[in-house]
Amino acid sequence: MRLFLIAALVAATIGFQGQAQAQDKVRIATEGAYAPFNFKAPDGTLQGFDVDIAKVLCERAHLECTIVAQDWDGIIPGLLAKKYDAIVASMSITEERKKKVDFTDKYYQTPARFVQKKGANLTISKDGLKGKTIGAQRSTIHAQYLQDNYADVADIKLYDSQENADLDLTAGRLDLVLADSIVLLEGFLNKPDGKGFEFIGPELKDPKWFGAGAGIAVRPGDAKLKDAFNKALAEIRKDGTYEKIDAKYFPFSIY
Amino acid sequence: MDLKGFGAQIATGAGLTLLVAALSLVIGLAIGGLGAAAKLSGSRPLRVIADAYTTLMRGVPELLILLLLYFGGTVLLTWVAGEYVEVNGLGAGLFALSLLCGAYTTEVLRAAIQSVPRGQLEAARALGLRQAHVVRLVMLPQVWRLALPGLGNTWLVLLKDTSLISVVGLEELMRKSAIAAGATHQPFTFYAVAAGVYLLFTTVSVLGISALERRARRGLARA
Repeated sequence: MRLFLIAALVAATIGFQGQAQAQDKVRIATEGAYAPFNFKAPDGTLQGFDVDIAKVLCERAHLECTIVAQDWDGIIPGLLAKKYDAIVASMSITEERKKKVDFTDKYYQTPARFVQKKGANLTISKDGLKGKTIGAQRSTIHAQYLQDNYADVADIKLYDSQENADLDLTAGRLDLVLADSIVLLEGFLNKPDGKGFEFIGPELKDPKWFGAGAGIAVRPGDAKLKDAFNKALAEIRKDGTYEKIDAKYFPFSIY
Repeated sequence: MDLKGFGAQIATGAGLTLLVAALSLVIGLAIGGLGAAAKLSGSRPLRVIADAYTTLMRGVPELLILLLLYFGGTVLLTWVAGEYVEVNGLGAGLFALSLLCGAYTTEVLRAAIQSVPRGQLEAARALGLRQAHVVRLVMLPQVWRLALPGLGNTWLVLLKDTSLISVVGLEELMRKSAIAAGATHQPFTFYAVAAGVYLLFTTVSVLGISALERRARRGLARA
Protein backbone atom coordinates (compact mmCIF):
# COMPACT_ATOMS: atom_id res chain seq x y z
CA MET A 1 0.00 0.00 0.00
CA ARG A 2 2.78 2.40 0.91
CA LEU A 3 4.63 1.52 -2.24
CA PHE A 4 1.50 2.11 -4.24
CA LEU A 5 1.06 5.55 -2.64
CA ILE A 6 4.62 6.52 -3.44
CA ALA A 7 4.20 5.29 -6.99
CA ALA A 8 0.99 7.30 -7.28
CA LEU A 9 2.71 10.40 -5.94
CA VAL A 10 5.61 9.99 -8.33
CA ALA A 11 3.21 9.47 -11.20
CA ALA A 12 1.24 12.55 -10.17
CA THR A 13 4.42 14.61 -9.95
CA ILE A 14 5.54 13.49 -13.36
CA GLY A 15 2.10 14.19 -14.72
CA PHE A 16 2.17 17.62 -13.17
CA GLN A 17 5.58 18.35 -14.64
CA GLY A 18 4.27 17.24 -17.98
CA GLN A 19 1.53 19.80 -17.69
CA ALA A 20 3.91 22.52 -16.62
CA GLN A 21 6.03 21.68 -19.63
CA ALA A 22 3.06 21.89 -21.94
CA GLN A 23 2.88 25.58 -21.21
CA ASP A 24 6.49 26.26 -22.18
CA LYS A 25 6.46 28.82 -24.94
CA VAL A 26 9.13 28.58 -27.59
CA ARG A 27 9.65 30.91 -30.53
CA ILE A 28 11.18 29.36 -33.60
CA ALA A 29 12.69 31.26 -36.51
CA THR A 30 12.85 30.10 -40.10
CA GLU A 31 13.82 31.99 -43.24
CA GLY A 32 10.80 31.62 -45.49
CA ALA A 33 12.67 31.90 -48.79
CA TYR A 34 14.20 28.44 -49.15
CA ALA A 35 11.67 26.21 -50.88
CA PRO A 36 10.88 23.39 -50.38
CA PHE A 37 12.35 23.49 -46.86
CA ASN A 38 10.80 26.76 -45.79
CA PHE A 39 8.81 29.25 -47.81
CA LYS A 40 5.94 31.71 -47.68
CA ALA A 41 2.71 30.39 -49.18
CA PRO A 42 0.45 32.78 -51.13
CA ASP A 43 -1.73 33.17 -48.02
CA GLY A 44 1.28 34.48 -46.10
CA THR A 45 1.81 31.40 -43.89
CA LEU A 46 5.17 29.68 -43.45
CA GLN A 47 5.33 26.19 -44.89
CA GLY A 48 7.80 23.52 -45.92
CA PHE A 49 9.78 20.58 -44.57
CA ASP A 50 11.53 22.61 -41.84
CA VAL A 51 8.22 24.05 -40.67
CA ASP A 52 6.53 20.63 -40.55
CA ILE A 53 9.46 19.13 -38.65
CA ALA A 54 9.48 22.04 -36.20
CA LYS A 55 5.75 21.66 -35.57
CA VAL A 56 5.87 17.93 -34.94
CA LEU A 57 8.96 18.24 -32.70
CA CYS A 58 7.20 20.88 -30.61
CA GLU A 59 4.14 18.67 -30.33
CA ARG A 60 6.24 15.73 -29.14
CA ALA A 61 8.23 17.85 -26.69
CA HIS A 62 5.03 19.44 -25.35
CA LEU A 63 6.17 22.91 -26.29
CA GLU A 64 3.86 25.68 -27.38
CA CYS A 65 5.67 26.98 -30.45
CA THR A 66 5.23 29.99 -32.65
CA ILE A 67 7.13 30.12 -35.91
CA VAL A 68 8.39 33.44 -37.22
CA ALA A 69 10.12 34.50 -40.42
CA GLN A 70 13.59 36.05 -40.19
CA ASP A 71 15.97 37.02 -42.98
CA TRP A 72 18.94 34.68 -43.25
CA ASP A 73 21.47 37.49 -42.76
CA GLY A 74 20.34 38.22 -39.23
CA ILE A 75 19.13 34.81 -38.17
CA ILE A 76 21.94 33.93 -35.73
CA PRO A 77 22.23 37.44 -34.23
CA GLY A 78 18.46 37.34 -33.68
CA LEU A 79 18.76 34.06 -31.78
CA LEU A 80 21.56 35.42 -29.59
CA ALA A 81 19.54 38.60 -28.97
CA LYS A 82 16.65 36.38 -27.78
CA LYS A 83 14.26 37.44 -30.50
CA TYR A 84 13.45 33.70 -30.65
CA ASP A 85 14.71 30.55 -28.99
CA ALA A 86 15.58 28.20 -31.83
CA ILE A 87 16.35 28.22 -35.56
CA VAL A 88 14.81 25.54 -37.77
CA ALA A 89 15.92 26.80 -41.15
CA SER A 90 18.01 24.09 -42.82
CA MET A 91 21.10 25.38 -41.05
CA SER A 92 24.10 23.12 -41.58
CA ILE A 93 26.01 22.11 -38.50
CA THR A 94 29.51 23.54 -39.04
CA GLU A 95 32.47 24.13 -36.74
CA GLU A 96 32.32 27.85 -37.37
CA ARG A 97 28.66 28.14 -36.35
CA LYS A 98 29.23 25.91 -33.32
CA LYS A 99 31.39 28.68 -31.90
CA LYS A 100 28.27 30.85 -31.65
CA VAL A 101 25.32 28.48 -31.18
CA ASP A 102 24.56 24.94 -30.03
CA PHE A 103 23.07 22.44 -32.43
CA THR A 104 20.77 19.47 -31.98
CA ASP A 105 21.46 16.26 -33.87
CA LYS A 106 21.02 16.58 -37.62
CA TYR A 107 17.48 16.29 -38.94
CA TYR A 108 18.44 15.91 -42.56
CA GLN A 109 21.50 15.88 -44.76
CA THR A 110 21.72 16.44 -48.48
CA PRO A 111 24.68 17.14 -50.76
CA ALA A 112 25.41 20.41 -52.56
CA ARG A 113 25.58 20.71 -56.35
CA PHE A 114 26.20 23.20 -59.11
CA VAL A 115 23.52 24.19 -61.60
CA GLN A 116 24.28 25.58 -65.06
CA LYS A 117 22.34 26.60 -68.16
CA LYS A 118 21.51 23.48 -70.18
CA GLY A 119 24.27 22.68 -72.64
CA ALA A 120 26.81 25.12 -71.20
CA ASN A 121 29.16 22.14 -70.67
CA LEU A 122 31.19 23.72 -67.92
CA THR A 123 33.88 21.70 -66.18
CA ILE A 124 33.92 21.99 -62.41
CA SER A 125 37.61 22.65 -61.80
CA LYS A 126 39.90 25.59 -61.29
CA ASP A 127 40.63 25.75 -65.00
CA GLY A 128 37.07 25.12 -66.08
CA LEU A 129 35.63 27.90 -63.93
CA LYS A 130 38.24 30.52 -64.82
CA GLY A 131 36.52 33.84 -65.45
CA LYS A 132 33.05 32.45 -64.71
CA THR A 133 30.53 34.11 -62.43
CA ILE A 134 29.21 31.84 -59.69
CA GLY A 135 26.38 32.68 -57.32
CA ALA A 136 25.43 31.43 -53.87
CA GLN A 137 23.53 32.61 -50.83
CA ARG A 138 25.52 34.74 -48.41
CA SER A 139 26.62 33.25 -45.05
CA THR A 140 26.05 29.69 -46.19
CA ILE A 141 28.30 26.67 -46.43
CA HIS A 142 28.05 27.03 -50.21
CA ALA A 143 29.36 30.60 -50.14
CA GLN A 144 32.21 29.50 -47.88
CA TYR A 145 33.07 26.62 -50.20
CA LEU A 146 33.19 28.90 -53.24
CA GLN A 147 35.34 31.46 -51.50
CA ASP A 148 37.79 28.86 -50.24
CA ASN A 149 38.11 27.04 -53.56
CA TYR A 150 37.34 29.32 -56.48
CA ALA A 151 37.74 32.90 -55.27
CA ASP A 152 41.08 33.25 -57.05
CA VAL A 153 39.82 32.21 -60.50
CA ALA A 154 36.09 32.95 -60.62
CA ASP A 155 33.88 35.92 -59.81
CA ILE A 156 31.71 34.99 -56.83
CA LYS A 157 28.46 36.82 -56.27
CA LEU A 158 26.59 36.37 -53.00
CA TYR A 159 22.87 36.92 -52.47
CA ASP A 160 20.67 37.57 -49.46
CA SER A 161 18.37 34.69 -50.38
CA GLN A 162 18.57 31.58 -52.53
CA GLU A 163 15.60 32.83 -54.52
CA ASN A 164 17.54 35.91 -55.58
CA ALA A 165 20.52 33.82 -56.66
CA ASP A 166 18.18 31.67 -58.78
CA LEU A 167 16.66 34.82 -60.26
CA ASP A 168 20.06 36.11 -61.35
CA LEU A 169 20.90 32.74 -62.90
CA THR A 170 17.70 32.93 -64.97
CA ALA A 171 18.49 36.54 -65.83
CA GLY A 172 21.83 35.41 -67.26
CA ARG A 173 24.05 37.30 -64.80
CA LEU A 174 25.44 34.05 -63.40
CA ASP A 175 27.05 31.09 -65.15
CA LEU A 176 26.55 28.78 -62.19
CA VAL A 177 24.80 28.56 -58.87
CA LEU A 178 26.02 26.40 -56.02
CA ALA A 179 23.44 25.35 -53.45
CA ASP A 180 21.81 22.43 -51.73
CA SER A 181 20.88 19.85 -54.37
CA ILE A 182 17.31 19.39 -53.06
CA VAL A 183 16.67 23.10 -52.88
CA LEU A 184 17.89 23.48 -56.46
CA LEU A 185 15.88 20.49 -57.64
CA GLU A 186 12.55 21.17 -55.93
CA GLY A 187 12.81 24.92 -55.57
CA PHE A 188 14.17 25.66 -59.03
CA LEU A 189 14.81 22.93 -61.61
CA ASN A 190 11.38 21.32 -61.21
CA LYS A 191 9.65 24.69 -61.59
CA PRO A 192 8.81 26.35 -64.92
CA ASP A 193 11.71 28.87 -64.67
CA GLY A 194 14.22 26.09 -64.05
CA LYS A 195 13.39 24.32 -67.33
CA GLY A 196 16.48 25.47 -69.20
CA PHE A 197 18.93 24.54 -66.43
CA GLU A 198 20.61 21.35 -65.22
CA PHE A 199 22.91 19.90 -62.56
CA ILE A 200 26.59 19.75 -63.41
CA GLY A 201 29.50 18.13 -61.57
CA PRO A 202 29.53 15.73 -58.64
CA GLU A 203 27.60 15.83 -55.37
CA LEU A 204 29.64 17.81 -52.86
CA LYS A 205 29.59 16.63 -49.26
CA ASP A 206 33.06 17.16 -47.81
CA PRO A 207 32.34 17.67 -44.09
CA LYS A 208 35.09 20.28 -43.95
CA TRP A 209 32.75 22.67 -45.76
CA PHE A 210 29.38 21.01 -45.84
CA GLY A 211 29.17 20.10 -42.19
CA ALA A 212 27.28 17.27 -40.60
CA GLY A 213 23.79 17.89 -41.96
CA ALA A 214 21.15 20.40 -40.95
CA GLY A 215 20.42 20.83 -37.26
CA ILE A 216 18.32 23.02 -35.03
CA ALA A 217 20.29 25.89 -33.53
CA VAL A 218 19.67 27.01 -29.94
CA ARG A 219 21.44 29.54 -27.76
CA PRO A 220 24.74 28.24 -26.32
CA GLY A 221 24.08 26.44 -23.06
CA ASP A 222 20.36 26.01 -23.64
CA ALA A 223 20.64 22.29 -22.97
CA LYS A 224 17.01 21.95 -21.90
CA LEU A 225 15.62 22.93 -25.28
CA LYS A 226 18.34 21.09 -27.17
CA ASP A 227 17.69 17.85 -25.28
CA ALA A 228 13.93 18.19 -25.69
CA PHE A 229 14.35 18.52 -29.47
CA ASN A 230 16.86 15.66 -29.65
CA LYS A 231 14.53 13.36 -27.72
CA ALA A 232 11.57 14.28 -29.91
CA LEU A 233 13.69 13.86 -33.03
CA ALA A 234 14.76 10.34 -32.01
CA GLU A 235 11.09 9.56 -31.36
CA ILE A 236 9.78 10.66 -34.76
CA ARG A 237 12.68 8.89 -36.49
CA LYS A 238 11.66 5.67 -34.75
CA ASP A 239 7.88 5.75 -35.11
CA GLY A 240 7.68 6.65 -38.81
CA THR A 241 6.46 10.23 -38.40
CA TYR A 242 9.67 11.54 -39.94
CA GLU A 243 9.28 9.33 -42.99
CA LYS A 244 5.74 10.58 -43.49
CA ILE A 245 6.88 14.20 -43.52
CA ASP A 246 9.81 13.30 -45.78
CA ALA A 247 7.48 11.54 -48.22
CA LYS A 248 5.18 14.58 -48.32
CA TYR A 249 7.98 16.57 -49.97
CA PHE A 250 10.48 14.16 -51.51
CA PRO A 251 10.32 10.84 -53.36
CA PHE A 252 13.37 9.61 -51.37
CA SER A 253 14.80 9.83 -47.86
CA ILE A 254 16.82 12.95 -47.13
CA TYR A 255 18.01 11.85 -43.66
CA MET B 1 -2.75 39.52 -64.59
CA ASP B 2 -1.95 36.25 -62.81
CA LEU B 3 -0.77 37.00 -59.28
CA LYS B 4 -0.42 33.29 -58.36
CA GLY B 5 -2.64 33.76 -55.33
CA PHE B 6 -0.50 36.54 -53.86
CA GLY B 7 -3.09 39.25 -54.61
CA ALA B 8 -4.50 39.30 -51.08
CA GLN B 9 -1.01 39.57 -49.60
CA ILE B 10 -0.15 42.50 -51.87
CA ALA B 11 -3.40 44.21 -50.87
CA THR B 12 -2.60 43.73 -47.16
CA GLY B 13 0.84 45.18 -47.78
CA ALA B 14 -0.61 48.18 -49.62
CA GLY B 15 -2.95 48.80 -46.68
CA LEU B 16 -0.05 48.76 -44.25
CA THR B 17 1.92 51.14 -46.48
CA LEU B 18 -0.95 53.64 -46.40
CA LEU B 19 -1.36 53.25 -42.65
CA VAL B 20 2.32 53.83 -41.93
CA ALA B 21 2.46 56.84 -44.26
CA ALA B 22 -0.71 58.42 -42.82
CA LEU B 23 0.35 57.94 -39.18
CA SER B 24 3.83 59.28 -39.91
CA LEU B 25 2.30 62.34 -41.58
CA VAL B 26 0.06 63.10 -38.60
CA ILE B 27 2.90 62.73 -36.09
CA GLY B 28 5.31 64.49 -38.45
CA LEU B 29 2.96 67.47 -38.82
CA ALA B 30 2.74 67.79 -35.05
CA ILE B 31 6.52 67.66 -34.75
CA GLY B 32 6.80 70.12 -37.63
CA GLY B 33 4.48 72.58 -35.92
CA LEU B 34 6.52 72.41 -32.72
CA GLY B 35 9.77 72.60 -34.68
CA ALA B 36 8.71 75.68 -36.61
CA ALA B 37 7.52 77.34 -33.40
CA ALA B 38 10.88 76.54 -31.78
CA LYS B 39 12.85 77.89 -34.74
CA LEU B 40 10.94 81.17 -34.67
CA SER B 41 10.84 81.50 -30.90
CA GLY B 42 12.84 84.02 -28.92
CA SER B 43 14.53 81.28 -26.92
CA ARG B 44 18.04 80.55 -28.09
CA PRO B 45 18.28 76.98 -26.65
CA LEU B 46 15.02 76.04 -28.42
CA ARG B 47 16.32 77.42 -31.73
CA VAL B 48 19.59 75.52 -31.34
CA ILE B 49 17.76 72.24 -30.59
CA ALA B 50 15.42 72.69 -33.56
CA ASP B 51 18.33 73.56 -35.87
CA ALA B 52 20.31 70.52 -34.73
CA TYR B 53 17.26 68.31 -35.27
CA THR B 54 16.52 69.45 -38.82
CA THR B 55 20.21 69.43 -39.77
CA LEU B 56 20.65 65.86 -38.56
CA MET B 57 17.43 64.45 -40.00
CA ARG B 58 17.77 66.13 -43.37
CA GLY B 59 21.50 65.48 -43.59
CA VAL B 60 21.61 61.70 -43.06
CA PRO B 61 20.12 59.21 -45.55
CA GLU B 62 16.65 58.00 -44.61
CA LEU B 63 17.71 54.37 -44.83
CA LEU B 64 20.58 54.95 -42.44
CA ILE B 65 18.34 56.65 -39.88
CA LEU B 66 15.95 53.73 -40.06
CA LEU B 67 18.72 51.16 -39.55
CA LEU B 68 20.20 53.20 -36.70
CA LEU B 69 16.85 53.30 -34.92
CA TYR B 70 16.01 49.66 -35.58
CA PHE B 71 19.31 48.07 -34.58
CA GLY B 72 20.68 50.83 -32.38
CA GLY B 73 17.30 51.31 -30.70
CA THR B 74 17.22 47.72 -29.50
CA VAL B 75 20.70 48.01 -28.04
CA LEU B 76 19.96 51.36 -26.40
CA LEU B 77 16.60 50.35 -24.93
CA THR B 78 18.02 47.05 -23.72
CA TRP B 79 20.84 48.91 -22.04
CA VAL B 80 18.45 51.38 -20.41
CA ALA B 81 15.92 48.77 -19.30
CA GLY B 82 18.51 46.22 -18.19
CA GLU B 83 16.74 43.42 -20.06
CA TYR B 84 16.07 42.59 -23.68
CA VAL B 85 13.66 45.00 -25.32
CA GLU B 86 12.31 44.22 -28.75
CA VAL B 87 12.08 47.09 -31.22
CA ASN B 88 9.77 45.86 -33.94
CA GLY B 89 9.84 46.94 -37.56
CA LEU B 90 6.59 48.86 -37.35
CA GLY B 91 7.65 50.84 -34.28
CA ALA B 92 11.09 51.68 -35.62
CA GLY B 93 9.66 52.52 -39.04
CA LEU B 94 6.93 54.80 -37.72
CA PHE B 95 9.38 56.52 -35.41
CA ALA B 96 11.98 57.07 -38.15
CA LEU B 97 9.49 58.29 -40.76
CA SER B 98 7.75 60.59 -38.28
CA LEU B 99 11.06 62.17 -37.29
CA LEU B 100 12.04 62.59 -40.94
CA CYS B 101 8.68 63.99 -41.94
CA GLY B 102 8.82 66.27 -38.90
CA ALA B 103 12.16 67.72 -39.98
CA TYR B 104 10.94 68.55 -43.48
CA THR B 105 7.62 69.98 -42.32
CA THR B 106 9.45 72.10 -39.74
CA GLU B 107 11.21 73.87 -42.59
CA VAL B 108 8.10 74.07 -44.77
CA LEU B 109 6.02 75.58 -41.96
CA ARG B 110 8.80 77.93 -40.88
CA ALA B 111 9.14 79.30 -44.40
CA ALA B 112 5.36 79.64 -44.73
CA ILE B 113 5.03 81.49 -41.44
CA GLN B 114 7.85 83.86 -42.36
CA SER B 115 6.19 84.57 -45.71
CA VAL B 116 3.22 86.22 -44.06
CA PRO B 117 4.07 89.95 -44.13
CA ARG B 118 4.83 91.31 -40.66
CA GLY B 119 2.69 94.33 -41.43
CA GLN B 120 -0.42 92.20 -41.36
CA LEU B 121 0.35 91.03 -37.84
CA GLU B 122 0.98 94.58 -36.71
CA ALA B 123 -2.26 95.70 -38.33
CA ALA B 124 -4.17 92.89 -36.65
CA ARG B 125 -2.78 93.83 -33.27
CA ALA B 126 -3.50 97.50 -33.92
CA LEU B 127 -7.11 96.50 -34.55
CA GLY B 128 -7.14 95.00 -31.06
CA LEU B 129 -7.21 91.30 -32.01
CA ARG B 130 -6.00 88.97 -29.28
CA GLN B 131 -2.98 86.69 -29.97
CA ALA B 132 -5.21 83.62 -30.42
CA HIS B 133 -7.32 85.50 -32.94
CA VAL B 134 -4.27 86.73 -34.81
CA VAL B 135 -3.11 83.14 -35.22
CA ARG B 136 -6.50 81.72 -36.16
CA LEU B 137 -7.86 84.49 -38.38
CA VAL B 138 -4.77 86.03 -39.94
CA MET B 139 -1.91 83.56 -39.79
CA LEU B 140 -3.35 80.08 -40.27
CA PRO B 141 -5.37 80.68 -43.46
CA GLN B 142 -2.28 82.11 -45.14
CA VAL B 143 0.28 79.72 -43.67
CA TRP B 144 -1.94 76.85 -44.81
CA ARG B 145 -2.01 78.17 -48.38
CA LEU B 146 1.72 78.87 -48.46
CA ALA B 147 2.70 75.57 -46.88
CA LEU B 148 0.47 73.29 -48.95
CA PRO B 149 2.78 72.80 -51.96
CA GLY B 150 5.69 71.96 -49.66
CA LEU B 151 3.58 69.67 -47.50
CA GLY B 152 2.26 67.94 -50.60
CA ASN B 153 5.82 67.23 -51.67
CA THR B 154 6.69 65.93 -48.22
CA TRP B 155 3.69 63.60 -48.31
CA LEU B 156 4.68 62.14 -51.69
CA VAL B 157 8.25 61.54 -50.52
CA LEU B 158 6.96 60.03 -47.29
CA LEU B 159 4.60 57.69 -49.10
CA LYS B 160 7.49 56.32 -51.16
CA ASP B 161 9.91 56.25 -48.23
CA THR B 162 7.69 53.72 -46.49
CA SER B 163 9.24 51.17 -48.88
CA LEU B 164 12.50 51.58 -46.93
CA ILE B 165 10.90 49.95 -43.91
CA SER B 166 10.84 46.69 -45.83
CA VAL B 167 14.54 46.26 -45.00
CA VAL B 168 13.75 45.80 -41.31
CA GLY B 169 11.19 43.13 -42.07
CA LEU B 170 7.92 45.05 -41.95
CA GLU B 171 5.67 43.41 -44.50
CA GLU B 172 4.35 46.45 -46.31
CA LEU B 173 3.79 46.73 -50.06
CA MET B 174 7.47 46.57 -51.07
CA ARG B 175 8.33 43.57 -48.90
CA LYS B 176 5.18 41.65 -49.83
CA SER B 177 6.08 42.17 -53.49
CA ALA B 178 9.64 40.97 -52.90
CA ILE B 179 8.36 37.85 -51.12
CA ALA B 180 5.95 37.12 -53.96
CA ALA B 181 8.65 37.80 -56.56
CA GLY B 182 11.02 35.38 -54.83
CA ALA B 183 8.45 32.66 -54.27
CA THR B 184 7.10 32.73 -57.82
CA HIS B 185 10.34 33.68 -59.63
CA GLN B 186 8.42 36.46 -61.37
CA PRO B 187 10.14 39.65 -60.27
CA PHE B 188 8.88 41.78 -63.12
CA THR B 189 5.21 40.96 -62.54
CA PHE B 190 5.24 41.73 -58.84
CA TYR B 191 7.51 44.76 -58.89
CA ALA B 192 5.38 46.18 -61.71
CA VAL B 193 2.26 45.60 -59.63
CA ALA B 194 3.91 47.34 -56.65
CA ALA B 195 4.95 50.26 -58.86
CA GLY B 196 1.36 50.50 -60.11
CA VAL B 197 -0.01 50.59 -56.57
CA TYR B 198 2.45 53.30 -55.50
CA LEU B 199 1.60 55.27 -58.62
CA LEU B 200 -2.10 54.95 -57.86
CA PHE B 201 -1.58 56.22 -54.32
CA THR B 202 0.56 59.15 -55.43
CA THR B 203 -1.76 60.10 -58.29
CA VAL B 204 -4.78 60.20 -56.01
CA SER B 205 -2.65 62.21 -53.56
CA VAL B 206 -1.68 64.74 -56.23
CA LEU B 207 -5.35 65.21 -57.16
CA GLY B 208 -6.24 65.65 -53.50
CA ILE B 209 -3.44 68.14 -52.94
CA SER B 210 -4.51 70.23 -55.97
CA ALA B 211 -8.07 70.30 -54.63
CA LEU B 212 -6.80 71.46 -51.24
CA GLU B 213 -4.62 74.11 -52.88
CA ARG B 214 -7.57 75.42 -54.89
CA ARG B 215 -9.60 75.64 -51.73
CA ALA B 216 -6.83 77.39 -49.79
CA ARG B 217 -6.45 79.90 -52.63
CA ARG B 218 -10.14 80.63 -53.08
CA GLY B 219 -9.94 84.19 -51.73
CA LEU B 220 -7.09 85.00 -54.10
CA ALA B 221 -8.38 83.44 -57.26
CA ARG B 222 -9.76 86.64 -58.71
CA ALA B 223 -7.23 88.97 -57.23
